[in-house]
Amino acid sequence: MEGRLTLSDSLSEDLLTVRMKHRVGAVSLDVSFALTHPWTVLFGPSGSGKTTVLRTIAGFVRPDAGSIARGGDVLVDRASGVFVPAHRRPVRSAGQTAWLFPNMTVRSNAVYGLGWSTKPDDAQKAIEETMRLFRIQDLLDRKPHELSGGEKQRVSVARTVISAVTYEGPSSTLLLLDEPFSGLDYAMRDELVGGLREYLMRHKIPVLSVTHDVGEAFQLDAEVIRIADGRVVQQGPASDALKDERQRLMSQLKSGS
Amino acid sequence: MDFDALWLTLRLAVGTTAILLLVAVPLAWWIASGHGSGRALVQTIVALPLVLPPTVLGFYLLVAMGPLTAPGRLLIRIFGHPLAFSFEGLLIGSVLYSLPFAVQPLVAGFQAVDRGFIEAAAGLGARPAKVFVSVVVPMARTSLLTSAVLTFTHTVGEFGVVLMLGGNIPGATRTLSISLYDLVQDGNYAAANRTALVLIGFAMVALLAIYLLPSMRKVDGRQADIVR
Repeated sequence: MEGRLTLSDSLSEDLLTVRMKHRVGAVSLDVSFALTHPWTVLFGPSGSGKTTVLRTIAGFVRPDAGSIARGGDVLVDRASGVFVPAHRRPVRSAGQTAWLFPNMTVRSNAVYGLGWSTKPDDAQKAIEETMRLFRIQDLLDRKPHELSGGEKQRVSVARTVISAVTYEGPSSTLLLLDEPFSGLDYAMRDELVGGLREYLMRHKIPVLSVTHDVGEAFQLDAEVIRIADGRVVQQGPASDALKDERQRLMSQLKSGS
Repeated sequence: MDFDALWLTLRLAVGTTAILLLVAVPLAWWIASGHGSGRALVQTIVALPLVLPPTVLGFYLLVAMGPLTAPGRLLIRIFGHPLAFSFEGLLIGSVLYSLPFAVQPLVAGFQAVDRGFIEAAAGLGARPAKVFVSVVVPMARTSLLTSAVLTFTHTVGEFGVVLMLGGNIPGATRTLSISLYDLVQDGNYAAANRTALVLIGFAMVALLAIYLLPSMRKVDGRQADIVR
Protein backbone atom coordinates (compact mmCIF):
# COMPACT_ATOMS: atom_id res chain seq x y z
CA MET A 1 0.00 0.00 0.00
CA GLU A 2 1.27 3.47 -0.81
CA GLY A 3 2.23 5.85 1.95
CA ARG A 4 -0.31 8.05 3.69
CA LEU A 5 -1.00 11.15 1.70
CA THR A 6 -2.08 14.57 2.76
CA LEU A 7 -3.66 17.15 0.54
CA SER A 8 -1.76 20.05 2.04
CA ASP A 9 0.32 20.42 -1.10
CA SER A 10 -2.69 20.80 -3.36
CA LEU A 11 -5.43 22.16 -1.15
CA SER A 12 -5.82 24.53 1.73
CA GLU A 13 -4.93 23.06 5.10
CA ASP A 14 -8.40 23.21 6.53
CA LEU A 15 -10.49 21.04 4.26
CA LEU A 16 -13.31 21.36 6.71
CA THR A 17 -13.69 22.39 10.31
CA VAL A 18 -16.78 21.33 12.22
CA ARG A 19 -17.87 22.47 15.66
CA MET A 20 -21.49 21.71 16.31
CA LYS A 21 -24.08 20.92 18.94
CA HIS A 22 -27.39 19.44 17.99
CA ARG A 23 -30.15 17.45 19.63
CA VAL A 24 -31.98 14.78 17.62
CA GLY A 25 -34.33 12.57 19.57
CA ALA A 26 -32.41 10.97 22.41
CA VAL A 27 -28.96 11.75 20.98
CA SER A 28 -27.34 14.98 21.93
CA LEU A 29 -24.52 15.66 19.50
CA ASP A 30 -21.51 17.68 20.52
CA VAL A 31 -18.66 17.21 18.07
CA SER A 32 -15.67 19.12 16.78
CA PHE A 33 -13.14 17.92 14.29
CA ALA A 34 -11.13 19.06 11.29
CA LEU A 35 -10.54 17.17 8.06
CA THR A 36 -6.93 17.01 6.91
CA HIS A 37 -6.80 13.81 4.87
CA PRO A 38 -8.03 12.86 1.43
CA TRP A 39 -10.48 10.32 2.83
CA THR A 40 -11.93 10.55 6.31
CA VAL A 41 -14.37 8.07 7.75
CA LEU A 42 -16.92 8.68 10.47
CA PHE A 43 -17.01 5.41 12.37
CA GLY A 44 -19.41 4.45 15.10
CA PRO A 45 -22.43 2.40 16.11
CA SER A 46 -25.92 3.02 14.72
CA GLY A 47 -27.64 5.94 16.38
CA SER A 48 -24.39 7.64 17.36
CA GLY A 49 -25.17 10.65 15.18
CA LYS A 50 -22.87 10.05 12.19
CA THR A 51 -25.57 10.64 9.61
CA THR A 52 -26.73 13.82 11.34
CA VAL A 53 -23.18 15.20 11.21
CA LEU A 54 -23.04 14.46 7.48
CA ARG A 55 -26.47 16.01 6.88
CA THR A 56 -25.47 19.12 8.80
CA ILE A 57 -22.36 19.59 6.65
CA ALA A 58 -24.46 19.00 3.53
CA GLY A 59 -26.89 21.72 4.63
CA PHE A 60 -30.01 19.69 5.43
CA VAL A 61 -29.82 20.18 9.19
CA ARG A 62 -29.44 23.49 11.00
CA PRO A 63 -27.30 22.78 14.06
CA ASP A 64 -28.52 24.16 17.39
CA ALA A 65 -25.13 25.77 17.92
CA GLY A 66 -21.68 25.93 16.37
CA SER A 67 -20.12 26.57 13.00
CA ILE A 68 -18.84 24.75 9.92
CA ALA A 69 -16.25 26.22 7.59
CA ARG A 70 -14.67 24.98 4.39
CA GLY A 71 -11.31 26.67 3.93
CA GLY A 72 -12.10 30.35 4.35
CA ASP A 73 -15.81 29.94 3.55
CA VAL A 74 -18.21 29.79 6.47
CA LEU A 75 -21.06 27.39 5.63
CA VAL A 76 -22.92 27.70 8.94
CA ASP A 77 -22.36 29.89 11.94
CA ARG A 78 -25.21 30.08 14.40
CA ALA A 79 -23.55 32.93 16.33
CA SER A 80 -23.47 35.27 13.33
CA GLY A 81 -26.55 33.78 11.67
CA VAL A 82 -24.76 32.55 8.53
CA PHE A 83 -26.45 29.65 6.77
CA VAL A 84 -25.47 28.76 3.22
CA PRO A 85 -28.22 26.66 1.60
CA ALA A 86 -27.28 23.13 0.54
CA HIS A 87 -27.18 23.76 -3.21
CA ARG A 88 -24.75 26.68 -2.83
CA ARG A 89 -22.21 24.78 -0.70
CA PRO A 90 -18.97 23.50 -2.25
CA VAL A 91 -20.20 20.09 -1.12
CA ARG A 92 -21.80 17.14 -2.92
CA SER A 93 -23.63 14.47 -0.98
CA ALA A 94 -25.27 11.08 -1.36
CA GLY A 95 -27.49 9.70 1.39
CA GLN A 96 -27.87 6.13 2.53
CA THR A 97 -31.00 5.78 0.39
CA ALA A 98 -30.45 5.98 -3.36
CA TRP A 99 -33.33 8.41 -4.11
CA LEU A 100 -33.01 7.97 -7.87
CA PHE A 101 -35.54 10.21 -9.61
CA PRO A 102 -38.20 7.75 -10.85
CA ASN A 103 -39.24 9.95 -13.77
CA MET A 104 -35.76 9.85 -15.34
CA THR A 105 -33.53 7.21 -16.90
CA VAL A 106 -30.31 6.12 -15.22
CA ARG A 107 -28.43 8.35 -17.67
CA SER A 108 -30.44 11.46 -16.76
CA ASN A 109 -30.06 10.62 -13.09
CA ALA A 110 -26.30 10.20 -13.46
CA VAL A 111 -25.76 13.62 -15.05
CA TYR A 112 -28.38 15.47 -12.97
CA GLY A 113 -25.75 17.29 -10.92
CA LEU A 114 -23.95 18.68 -13.95
CA GLY A 115 -23.76 22.45 -14.13
CA TRP A 116 -22.71 24.67 -17.01
CA SER A 117 -19.27 23.50 -18.00
CA THR A 118 -16.42 25.60 -19.34
CA LYS A 119 -14.61 22.42 -20.30
CA PRO A 120 -17.30 20.15 -21.75
CA ASP A 121 -14.78 17.68 -23.20
CA ASP A 122 -13.18 17.14 -19.79
CA ALA A 123 -16.61 16.79 -18.22
CA GLN A 124 -17.63 14.21 -20.82
CA LYS A 125 -14.46 12.25 -20.18
CA ALA A 126 -15.02 12.35 -16.43
CA ILE A 127 -18.62 11.21 -16.84
CA GLU A 128 -17.59 8.22 -18.94
CA GLU A 129 -14.78 7.29 -16.60
CA THR A 130 -17.05 7.46 -13.55
CA MET A 131 -19.68 5.34 -15.29
CA ARG A 132 -17.05 2.71 -16.11
CA LEU A 133 -15.73 2.78 -12.55
CA PHE A 134 -19.19 2.13 -11.13
CA ARG A 135 -20.04 -0.31 -13.97
CA ILE A 136 -23.25 1.41 -14.86
CA GLN A 137 -22.60 1.88 -18.61
CA ASP A 138 -25.00 -0.93 -19.47
CA LEU A 139 -27.78 0.42 -17.27
CA LEU A 140 -28.00 3.90 -18.75
CA ASP A 141 -31.28 3.51 -20.66
CA ARG A 142 -33.13 1.81 -17.82
CA LYS A 143 -35.52 3.41 -15.36
CA PRO A 144 -34.73 3.21 -11.63
CA HIS A 145 -37.52 0.70 -10.95
CA GLU A 146 -35.78 -1.75 -13.30
CA LEU A 147 -32.62 -1.83 -11.16
CA SER A 148 -31.62 -4.08 -8.28
CA GLY A 149 -30.82 -2.61 -4.88
CA GLY A 150 -27.07 -2.77 -5.46
CA GLU A 151 -27.41 -1.19 -8.90
CA LYS A 152 -29.45 1.68 -7.49
CA GLN A 153 -26.81 2.23 -4.85
CA ARG A 154 -24.04 2.36 -7.48
CA VAL A 155 -25.98 4.80 -9.68
CA SER A 156 -26.69 7.01 -6.67
CA VAL A 157 -23.04 7.25 -5.60
CA ALA A 158 -21.86 7.57 -9.23
CA ARG A 159 -24.32 10.45 -9.72
CA THR A 160 -22.79 12.32 -6.78
CA VAL A 161 -19.22 11.54 -7.86
CA ILE A 162 -19.97 12.85 -11.38
CA SER A 163 -21.36 16.03 -9.85
CA ALA A 164 -18.19 16.38 -7.75
CA VAL A 165 -15.59 15.72 -10.48
CA THR A 166 -17.30 18.11 -12.91
CA TYR A 167 -17.76 20.81 -10.25
CA GLU A 168 -16.21 24.13 -11.26
CA GLY A 169 -15.55 26.42 -8.35
CA PRO A 170 -12.76 28.37 -6.70
CA SER A 171 -11.81 25.24 -4.73
CA SER A 172 -12.71 21.61 -5.25
CA THR A 173 -15.89 20.25 -3.79
CA LEU A 174 -16.09 18.08 -0.68
CA LEU A 175 -17.75 14.70 -1.17
CA LEU A 176 -20.07 13.38 1.55
CA LEU A 177 -21.05 9.72 1.28
CA ASP A 178 -23.30 7.95 3.77
CA GLU A 179 -22.43 4.24 3.69
CA PRO A 180 -21.66 4.34 -0.03
CA PHE A 181 -20.74 0.66 -0.33
CA SER A 182 -23.29 -0.88 2.03
CA GLY A 183 -25.63 -2.41 -0.55
CA LEU A 184 -22.91 -4.00 -2.69
CA ASP A 185 -21.65 -7.56 -2.86
CA TYR A 186 -18.08 -8.17 -1.66
CA ALA A 187 -16.38 -8.49 -5.05
CA MET A 188 -17.92 -5.27 -6.33
CA ARG A 189 -17.21 -3.49 -3.07
CA ASP A 190 -13.51 -4.45 -3.03
CA GLU A 191 -13.01 -3.31 -6.58
CA LEU A 192 -14.93 -0.08 -6.09
CA VAL A 193 -13.34 0.93 -2.78
CA GLY A 194 -9.84 0.83 -4.23
CA GLY A 195 -10.82 2.29 -7.60
CA LEU A 196 -12.87 5.15 -6.18
CA ARG A 197 -10.17 6.15 -3.71
CA GLU A 198 -7.54 6.37 -6.44
CA TYR A 199 -9.95 8.16 -8.78
CA LEU A 200 -10.96 10.83 -6.27
CA MET A 201 -7.36 11.44 -5.16
CA ARG A 202 -6.46 12.03 -8.79
CA HIS A 203 -9.26 14.60 -9.03
CA LYS A 204 -8.15 16.08 -5.67
CA ILE A 205 -11.61 15.61 -4.17
CA PRO A 206 -11.60 15.06 -0.40
CA VAL A 207 -14.18 12.67 1.03
CA LEU A 208 -15.97 12.31 4.32
CA SER A 209 -17.91 9.06 4.49
CA VAL A 210 -19.86 7.15 7.07
CA THR A 211 -19.26 3.48 7.74
CA HIS A 212 -19.37 0.84 10.41
CA ASP A 213 -17.25 -1.54 8.37
CA VAL A 214 -13.73 -1.95 9.81
CA GLY A 215 -12.35 -3.55 6.66
CA GLU A 216 -13.58 -0.68 4.54
CA ALA A 217 -11.81 1.89 6.72
CA PHE A 218 -8.54 -0.06 6.44
CA GLN A 219 -8.89 -0.59 2.73
CA LEU A 220 -9.49 3.12 2.19
CA ASP A 221 -6.40 3.89 4.26
CA ALA A 222 -8.66 6.48 5.81
CA GLU A 223 -8.35 8.88 8.67
CA VAL A 224 -10.91 7.66 11.19
CA ILE A 225 -13.10 9.80 13.41
CA ARG A 226 -14.78 7.58 15.98
CA ILE A 227 -18.12 8.79 17.25
CA ALA A 228 -19.99 7.32 20.19
CA ASP A 229 -23.03 8.74 21.99
CA GLY A 230 -22.77 11.96 20.03
CA ARG A 231 -19.12 12.67 20.94
CA VAL A 232 -15.85 12.30 19.04
CA VAL A 233 -13.93 9.75 21.06
CA GLN A 234 -10.88 9.36 18.87
CA GLN A 235 -9.34 10.62 15.63
CA GLY A 236 -6.39 9.10 13.80
CA PRO A 237 -5.30 6.68 11.09
CA ALA A 238 -7.34 3.49 10.81
CA SER A 239 -4.41 1.38 12.01
CA ASP A 240 -4.50 3.36 15.25
CA ALA A 241 -8.13 4.21 15.82
CA LEU A 242 -9.50 0.81 14.87
CA LYS A 243 -6.75 -1.31 16.43
CA ASP A 244 -9.08 -3.04 18.88
CA GLU A 245 -11.79 -3.73 16.30
CA ARG A 246 -9.19 -5.18 13.98
CA GLN A 247 -7.85 -7.40 16.75
CA ARG A 248 -11.33 -8.62 17.59
CA LEU A 249 -12.08 -9.38 13.93
CA MET A 250 -8.82 -11.30 13.56
CA SER A 251 -9.45 -13.41 16.65
CA GLN A 252 -13.01 -14.10 15.50
CA LEU A 253 -11.64 -15.31 12.16
CA LYS A 254 -9.04 -17.49 13.88
CA SER A 255 -11.49 -19.08 16.30
CA GLY A 256 -13.77 -19.81 13.33
CA SER A 257 -11.11 -21.86 11.50
CA MET B 1 -79.60 24.57 -27.15
CA ASP B 2 -77.89 27.92 -26.57
CA PHE B 3 -74.59 27.71 -28.45
CA ASP B 4 -73.55 31.19 -27.31
CA ALA B 5 -73.86 29.94 -23.75
CA LEU B 6 -71.86 26.80 -24.57
CA TRP B 7 -69.07 28.82 -26.19
CA LEU B 8 -69.03 31.28 -23.30
CA THR B 9 -68.94 28.45 -20.76
CA LEU B 10 -65.98 26.81 -22.51
CA ARG B 11 -64.09 30.12 -22.71
CA LEU B 12 -64.74 30.75 -19.05
CA ALA B 13 -63.66 27.24 -18.01
CA VAL B 14 -60.48 27.27 -20.13
CA GLY B 15 -59.56 30.78 -18.93
CA THR B 16 -60.21 29.92 -15.29
CA THR B 17 -58.19 26.69 -15.52
CA ALA B 18 -55.23 28.44 -17.17
CA ILE B 19 -55.14 31.29 -14.64
CA LEU B 20 -55.68 28.96 -11.69
CA LEU B 21 -52.86 26.60 -12.63
CA LEU B 22 -50.47 29.56 -12.75
CA VAL B 23 -51.67 30.73 -9.33
CA ALA B 24 -52.27 27.36 -7.68
CA VAL B 25 -48.96 25.63 -8.50
CA PRO B 26 -46.72 28.07 -6.57
CA LEU B 27 -49.36 28.54 -3.87
CA ALA B 28 -49.72 24.77 -3.36
CA TRP B 29 -45.94 24.34 -3.30
CA TRP B 30 -45.68 27.03 -0.64
CA ILE B 31 -48.37 25.32 1.45
CA ALA B 32 -46.85 21.86 0.92
CA SER B 33 -43.32 22.99 1.79
CA GLY B 34 -44.67 23.65 5.24
CA HIS B 35 -42.87 26.72 6.45
CA GLY B 36 -44.26 30.08 7.45
CA SER B 37 -46.70 30.64 10.30
CA GLY B 38 -49.36 32.06 7.97
CA ARG B 39 -49.85 28.63 6.40
CA ALA B 40 -52.99 27.69 8.37
CA LEU B 41 -54.58 31.04 7.59
CA VAL B 42 -53.81 30.75 3.88
CA GLN B 43 -55.17 27.19 3.81
CA THR B 44 -58.35 28.39 5.50
CA ILE B 45 -58.87 31.20 3.01
CA VAL B 46 -58.16 28.86 0.08
CA ALA B 47 -60.71 26.32 1.39
CA LEU B 48 -63.39 28.93 2.19
CA PRO B 49 -65.22 28.70 -1.17
CA LEU B 50 -65.84 25.01 -0.44
CA VAL B 51 -68.15 25.78 2.46
CA LEU B 52 -69.48 29.28 1.71
CA PRO B 53 -72.72 29.71 -0.23
CA PRO B 54 -71.61 30.91 -3.68
CA THR B 55 -73.94 33.86 -3.29
CA VAL B 56 -71.84 35.19 -0.42
CA LEU B 57 -68.70 35.25 -2.57
CA GLY B 58 -70.72 36.65 -5.48
CA PHE B 59 -72.20 39.41 -3.34
CA TYR B 60 -68.88 40.63 -1.97
CA LEU B 61 -67.20 40.46 -5.37
CA LEU B 62 -70.10 42.44 -6.84
CA VAL B 63 -69.57 45.14 -4.22
CA ALA B 64 -65.78 45.03 -4.48
CA MET B 65 -65.80 45.39 -8.26
CA GLY B 66 -68.38 48.15 -8.26
CA PRO B 67 -67.88 51.91 -7.95
CA LEU B 68 -68.55 51.80 -4.18
CA THR B 69 -65.00 50.69 -3.26
CA ALA B 70 -61.52 51.99 -4.04
CA PRO B 71 -60.33 48.74 -5.72
CA GLY B 72 -63.57 48.71 -7.71
CA ARG B 73 -63.00 52.27 -8.92
CA LEU B 74 -59.40 51.35 -9.84
CA LEU B 75 -60.61 48.33 -11.84
CA ILE B 76 -63.17 50.49 -13.62
CA ARG B 77 -60.41 52.93 -14.55
CA ILE B 78 -58.14 50.10 -15.81
CA PHE B 79 -60.77 48.25 -17.86
CA GLY B 80 -62.80 51.27 -18.81
CA HIS B 81 -66.04 49.66 -17.61
CA PRO B 82 -67.32 48.05 -14.40
CA LEU B 83 -66.17 44.44 -14.12
CA ALA B 84 -69.43 43.31 -12.64
CA PHE B 85 -71.76 41.99 -15.36
CA SER B 86 -68.79 41.43 -17.72
CA PHE B 87 -66.80 38.40 -18.84
CA GLU B 88 -63.65 39.61 -17.04
CA GLY B 89 -65.60 39.95 -13.80
CA LEU B 90 -66.95 36.44 -14.25
CA LEU B 91 -63.40 35.16 -14.78
CA ILE B 92 -62.22 36.72 -11.50
CA GLY B 93 -65.19 35.25 -9.66
CA SER B 94 -64.59 31.80 -11.14
CA VAL B 95 -60.91 31.86 -10.27
CA LEU B 96 -61.67 32.61 -6.62
CA TYR B 97 -64.57 30.17 -6.44
CA SER B 98 -62.59 27.26 -7.94
CA LEU B 99 -59.38 28.00 -6.03
CA PRO B 100 -59.70 25.10 -3.55
CA PHE B 101 -60.39 22.64 -6.37
CA ALA B 102 -57.11 23.65 -8.03
CA VAL B 103 -54.96 23.98 -4.91
CA GLN B 104 -55.94 21.01 -2.77
CA PRO B 105 -55.05 18.16 -5.18
CA LEU B 106 -51.72 19.89 -5.84
CA VAL B 107 -50.91 20.23 -2.14
CA ALA B 108 -51.62 16.52 -1.66
CA GLY B 109 -49.50 15.66 -4.71
CA PHE B 110 -46.55 17.82 -3.69
CA GLN B 111 -46.65 16.51 -0.12
CA ALA B 112 -46.49 12.95 -1.46
CA VAL B 113 -43.08 13.65 -3.03
CA ASP B 114 -40.65 12.44 -0.39
CA ARG B 115 -38.22 15.05 0.95
CA GLY B 116 -35.46 12.54 0.22
CA PHE B 117 -35.72 13.27 -3.52
CA ILE B 118 -35.52 17.00 -2.88
CA GLU B 119 -32.48 16.63 -0.61
CA ALA B 120 -30.81 14.28 -3.08
CA ALA B 121 -31.20 16.92 -5.80
CA ALA B 122 -29.94 19.72 -3.54
CA GLY B 123 -26.98 17.49 -2.59
CA LEU B 124 -26.10 17.47 -6.29
CA GLY B 125 -26.08 21.27 -6.34
CA ALA B 126 -29.47 21.77 -8.00
CA ARG B 127 -31.22 25.08 -7.32
CA PRO B 128 -34.72 24.86 -5.74
CA ALA B 129 -36.36 26.06 -8.98
CA LYS B 130 -34.63 23.28 -10.94
CA VAL B 131 -35.62 20.69 -8.33
CA PHE B 132 -39.24 21.84 -8.49
CA VAL B 133 -39.46 21.76 -12.28
CA SER B 134 -37.42 18.61 -12.95
CA VAL B 135 -38.30 16.44 -9.96
CA VAL B 136 -41.33 17.64 -7.97
CA VAL B 137 -43.70 18.56 -10.81
CA PRO B 138 -43.07 15.40 -12.91
CA MET B 139 -43.56 13.22 -9.84
CA ALA B 140 -46.81 15.02 -8.98
CA ARG B 141 -48.12 15.12 -12.53
CA THR B 142 -51.23 13.07 -11.75
CA SER B 143 -52.21 15.72 -9.22
CA LEU B 144 -51.67 18.41 -11.83
CA LEU B 145 -54.10 16.68 -14.18
CA THR B 146 -56.62 16.14 -11.38
CA SER B 147 -56.34 19.79 -10.43
CA ALA B 148 -56.88 20.98 -14.01
CA VAL B 149 -59.83 18.64 -14.66
CA LEU B 150 -61.57 19.50 -11.38
CA THR B 151 -61.13 23.23 -11.96
CA PHE B 152 -62.49 22.97 -15.48
CA THR B 153 -65.58 20.96 -14.53
CA HIS B 154 -66.27 22.95 -11.43
CA THR B 155 -66.25 26.14 -13.49
CA VAL B 156 -68.58 24.60 -16.06
CA GLY B 157 -71.01 23.72 -13.29
CA GLU B 158 -70.90 27.06 -11.52
CA PHE B 159 -74.22 28.84 -10.90
CA GLY B 160 -74.47 31.04 -7.83
CA VAL B 161 -71.39 33.20 -8.33
CA VAL B 162 -72.12 33.59 -12.03
CA LEU B 163 -75.68 34.71 -11.39
CA MET B 164 -74.73 37.20 -8.67
CA LEU B 165 -71.74 38.60 -10.50
CA GLY B 166 -72.65 38.32 -14.15
CA GLY B 167 -76.36 38.68 -14.18
CA ASN B 168 -77.74 37.01 -17.24
CA ILE B 169 -76.45 38.75 -20.35
CA PRO B 170 -76.57 36.61 -23.50
CA GLY B 171 -73.12 36.24 -25.07
CA ALA B 172 -71.39 38.01 -22.18
CA THR B 173 -72.31 36.31 -18.94
CA ARG B 174 -75.02 33.75 -19.67
CA THR B 175 -73.33 30.37 -19.14
CA LEU B 176 -74.87 26.95 -19.74
CA SER B 177 -76.05 26.53 -16.16
CA ILE B 178 -77.80 29.94 -16.26
CA SER B 179 -79.24 29.15 -19.65
CA LEU B 180 -80.69 25.93 -18.24
CA TYR B 181 -82.34 27.90 -15.44
CA ASP B 182 -83.83 30.32 -18.00
CA LEU B 183 -85.15 27.52 -20.16
CA VAL B 184 -86.89 25.91 -17.21
CA GLN B 185 -88.39 29.28 -16.23
CA ASP B 186 -89.74 29.57 -19.77
CA GLY B 187 -91.18 26.08 -19.58
CA ASN B 188 -89.00 24.91 -22.51
CA TYR B 189 -88.28 21.49 -21.04
CA ALA B 190 -87.00 19.92 -24.26
CA ALA B 191 -84.24 22.52 -24.63
CA ALA B 192 -83.56 22.38 -20.89
CA ASN B 193 -83.09 18.65 -21.19
CA ARG B 194 -80.54 19.02 -24.01
CA THR B 195 -78.58 21.60 -22.02
CA ALA B 196 -78.65 19.45 -18.90
CA LEU B 197 -77.41 16.46 -20.87
CA VAL B 198 -74.45 18.49 -22.17
CA LEU B 199 -73.57 19.44 -18.57
CA ILE B 200 -73.84 15.82 -17.47
CA GLY B 201 -71.59 14.88 -20.41
CA PHE B 202 -68.91 17.32 -19.28
CA ALA B 203 -69.01 15.98 -15.74
CA MET B 204 -68.94 12.34 -16.86
CA VAL B 205 -65.97 12.78 -19.18
CA ALA B 206 -64.04 14.70 -16.54
CA LEU B 207 -64.67 12.23 -13.74
CA LEU B 208 -63.92 9.30 -16.04
CA ALA B 209 -60.59 10.94 -16.89
CA ILE B 210 -59.74 11.27 -13.20
CA TYR B 211 -60.64 7.68 -12.43
CA LEU B 212 -58.76 6.38 -15.47
CA LEU B 213 -55.63 8.19 -14.29
CA PRO B 214 -54.59 5.49 -11.77
CA SER B 215 -52.79 3.75 -14.63
CA MET B 216 -50.49 6.76 -14.54
CA ARG B 217 -50.49 6.84 -10.78
CA LYS B 218 -48.09 3.87 -10.82
CA VAL B 219 -45.29 6.34 -11.45
CA ASP B 220 -45.98 7.94 -8.08
CA GLY B 221 -46.12 4.51 -6.52
CA ARG B 222 -42.47 3.99 -7.33
CA GLN B 223 -41.60 6.50 -4.64
CA ALA B 224 -41.85 3.61 -2.22
CA ASP B 225 -39.57 1.47 -4.37
CA ILE B 226 -36.25 2.59 -2.96
CA VAL B 227 -33.19 1.07 -1.37
CA ARG B 228 -33.08 1.34 2.38
